[in-house]
Amino acid sequence: MTNSFKKILVPIDGSIYSEKCLERACELVDAFNSNLILIYVVEKSLPINLLDRKEYLNMIRKFGTKILEKANEKLSKKGITAKIFLKEGNIVNEIEKIVKKEKCDLVVVGNKGLGSVSRFLLGSVSNKISQSSSCSVLIVK
Amino acid sequence: MAVKTKKILVPLDGSKNSIRGLDMAIHIARQSQGTLVALSVKTVPGIYAIHPLGFLDFNSMTEVKKLLSEAKVRAAKKGIDLTGKAIAGDPGYDIARFANNPKNKIDMVVLGARGRGSATEIFLGSVSNYVLHKSKKPVLIVK
Repeated sequence: MTNSFKKILVPIDGSIYSEKCLERACELVDAFNSNLILIYVVEKSLPINLLDRKEYLNMIRKFGTKILEKANEKLSKKGITAKIFLKEGNIVNEIEKIVKKEKCDLVVVGNKGLGSVSRFLLGSVSNKISQSSSCSVLIVK
Repeated sequence: MAVKTKKILVPLDGSKNSIRGLDMAIHIARQSQGTLVALSVKTVPGIYAIHPLGFLDFNSMTEVKKLLSEAKVRAAKKGIDLTGKAIAGDPGYDIARFANNPKNKIDMVVLGARGRGSATEIFLGSVSNYVLHKSKKPVLIVK
């Protein structure tokens, strides 16, 4: 049956919400003995392209790796090893790609992220993922 | 031991997807030794509240109750406690209200990606979407 979560994908962006997700994902890993995959996506949107992009992208990349390292440290304290990805492009598209490539069973996302203009209760990225992903989604609140 | 999801809310509407949601909830409950609460909402259009013929519709509550007893049997086979609850009203609104009510102590809501509602959205059902936005508890969407 497809009931067991063998692979859990956790997209993180450095916000408090994503930390919450990570904790929740740890609990699930404990319970289901599953593999954890962390992903940070460097956003490449149009306004960024128009600005001085090289410097900006470098900054974000550094930020991303820092966050991933931090998360990994946290996980290793709990005795969990995770695969780590740093991707560039549209956030939702990249997450979808990873889901397909790694055949994940569950995506754990927070209800809000760092996006400035989010919906009232649910963030735009979380919303898009829950609408379009092919696997189950857990929205941590 | 680790998962702190003791009480899981499973809204049921009799569709295949909601049964899948129920199976998933049973699976999670087994891992965390939790209990299930099945909620089945009989859709009552608002007009019936004031319409004189509204009472004609109320005897179909039996259909909902049958659904709940089936779910109970399904959960009991796996050794999980399931309490059923039948409500008449608007599904999205009532599920969200039930989940948010601190008296009910719901830790997680498990939903099928879409149920019986007509095709309002291509991938996610309208009720799932409503609950997703309005509930203050974690929501698991089963696809």
